[in-house]
Amino acid sequence: MMKNIISTQNAEIKGKMSNESFITLFMLVVLIALFGIACLFVPNFYLARNMLNLVTNYWYIIIIGVGVTFLLTTGHFDMSVSGIIAMTGVLSVYFCQSTEGSQPLAVGLGLPYGAAVVLALLCALAVGAINAFFIAKLRIASIIITLGTMSLSRGIGQIVTLGAQRNTSLPEVFGVVGNTIVPGISIKLSVLIMIFIVMIAVILEKKTVFGRRTYLIGANSEAARLSGVKVSRHITALYLFSAFLAGITGLLLASEYKAGISSRATGYEFDALVITLLGGTSISGGFGSVLGTVIGALILSVVTSSATGLLLSPDWQFTIKGIVTFLAILAQRFALDKRKG
Amino acid sequence: MMQRQINQPKDWRKIIKNIYIYIVLALIVIIFSVAKLDKVEMFGKGHFLSPDSLINLIRMSVPIMILSGGFTLLMIAGYIDLSVGSAMSLSSVVFSLMLINGVPFVAAFFITMAMGVLLGAINGFLVMKLRITPVIATLVTLNLYKGTALLIVPDGISSIKSSAAQKMPEWISDFARQGVIFGLPAAFIVTLAVIAILVVLQRKTLLGKYSAAIGGNRVAAELSGINVVKTVWLLYTIVGVLATMAGAARASYMSLGDPLSGDGMETDCIIAVLLGGTAFTGGEGSVIKTIIGALIIMCMTTGLLTIIDAYYQTFAKSAVLILAVTLNHLLARRKVAA
Repeated sequence: MMKNIISTQNAEIKGKMSNESFITLFMLVVLIALFGIACLFVPNFYLARNMLNLVTNYWYIIIIGVGVTFLLTTGHFDMSVSGIIAMTGVLSVYFCQSTEGSQPLAVGLGLPYGAAVVLALLCALAVGAINAFFIAKLRIASIIITLGTMSLSRGIGQIVTLGAQRNTSLPEVFGVVGNTIVPGISIKLSVLIMIFIVMIAVILEKKTVFGRRTYLIGANSEAARLSGVKVSRHITALYLFSAFLAGITGLLLASEYKAGISSRATGYEFDALVITLLGGTSISGGFGSVLGTVIGALILSVVTSSATGLLLSPDWQFTIKGIVTFLAILAQRFALDKRKG
Repeated sequence: MMQRQINQPKDWRKIIKNIYIYIVLALIVIIFSVAKLDKVEMFGKGHFLSPDSLINLIRMSVPIMILSGGFTLLMIAGYIDLSVGSAMSLSSVVFSLMLINGVPFVAAFFITMAMGVLLGAINGFLVMKLRITPVIATLVTLNLYKGTALLIVPDGISSIKSSAAQKMPEWISDFARQGVIFGLPAAFIVTLAVIAILVVLQRKTLLGKYSAAIGGNRVAAELSGINVVKTVWLLYTIVGVLATMAGAARASYMSLGDPLSGDGMETDCIIAVLLGGTAFTGGEGSVIKTIIGALIIMCMTTGLLTIIDAYYQTFAKSAVLILAVTLNHLLARRKVAA
């Protein structure tokens, strides 16, 4: 890892591109190439409407991908995001539902929407805090804990919805945010929120001390500690950040569907990991970029929608995601080796 | 470790660590057998400890008991395989597809196991040869195997089972359901044999010693001449074979090949292994305790259903996982702080 850092620094000194920008560019080229191939084979793939869909399709995966990217850069996993999405959605519905009703699934706490949103986000943060406590404080392997909190939070969703979903007696205001389409540019408000979050994240990553520390911890957490970085506090902040983003995604999705569904977002944790890896973030740490993750999401979007366009059965999606991830890891390693050699 | 014991005798910690899992199992059994005594008779029909219920419990535990033993060896070496659930689903689909097309049981069983060698070897190849992080490599194969299972099942039906066109042979369920000795199925006897082999492997053979050495300190193991790549590759292959055996047993139990039947098995295995006190960082652990851990999970899964509704399952299981991790942490001998 140190080698990477050193070579990155050397590259910067010589005025060459850093390895990170190189990989991001490399994946961008891959994206354009894939898009070109898809345009050749899939009918109507080049239409403007389809291109807009490609960009906006995966907004929810991109939002959680941002948090996952930061964590993976420090060498930690966060698999709990999908559970948090389900839980936050269900809880926001439960808090909002009116107190009167005959059916158990129609009765909620009757809180105003604002309070429900804040409370649901607090619950998401609580899950993030559990993650942080076990991982940053007790130093237990992140994959185990976050797999645990993933089902823990989904389990809470299942208990609140009795294993199904809650979608009745909701106030009108509940469905507004998720279904608003921004006038003039005809994209959803959720997509704008995604773009906003990505912009904040890029600034945070590239221009702040916080971002540089994230890289340092990923490259060598012991060295980071010795040079005065409060590593466990930093990891805690990142897990809270990731849980917060997942919470926002859960709220937006619940609002869009006007329902809290306990099986919502199954498998999103893998999708978020896939786009992060496609974007060049390395699990051994110290290496990664949010912009790369966005490109990763676009690659996944192009691949899956062209597969659907070619009338492959939806059963293909798991296989395709697996193969694409595998190839991406190999391609990036190959590209980096070539560059070094 | 020797030195530590001489310097600071903290034997209580070791004792608790050695026996707590048996106590937990006993407690769970007691709780579930007392829980509904007002409604059902002790050992009577519907009671947790009634013969029918116990035999069913054992039948259902076959997959996880076969699988988690091998999983322990892998985790002792400090590696992980998240693809076991998908390997199980894939093998249950392949197994029942062969049976429905008239392949005899023994042939189908061994072909499935041969596929397990392949699946495990692929994992080993990705992790050891291509040096992809175990979690990511096996997450990739998780999706690959699951995708393949879904693709094998023809469009329009959810699983390989008897239909108007093709009938599943009646004897598919013989392996995991039919009583052979004391009402216990053949699959259970196979399971006991597998567990016995794994215990011997762990305690008496070089493979067991090597995996503990690799988990304890990979570099030191390499320097002392252990072929780490080969050893771990072998461990992945063992886990792959066991996963397919578990899949065949599951297919036989349900009399169908369901491409989603293994979902969540990896979490169950991890819970069982951690309950059994294997350190996640590797280096120590015990196959027998993992089996006890697996029994705890199965008792909870079946026992909880008699007391509370099914939708509490996910929450309860993950709470147990987090508890087990915490207990492990509290009871572990302190490693040098990282």
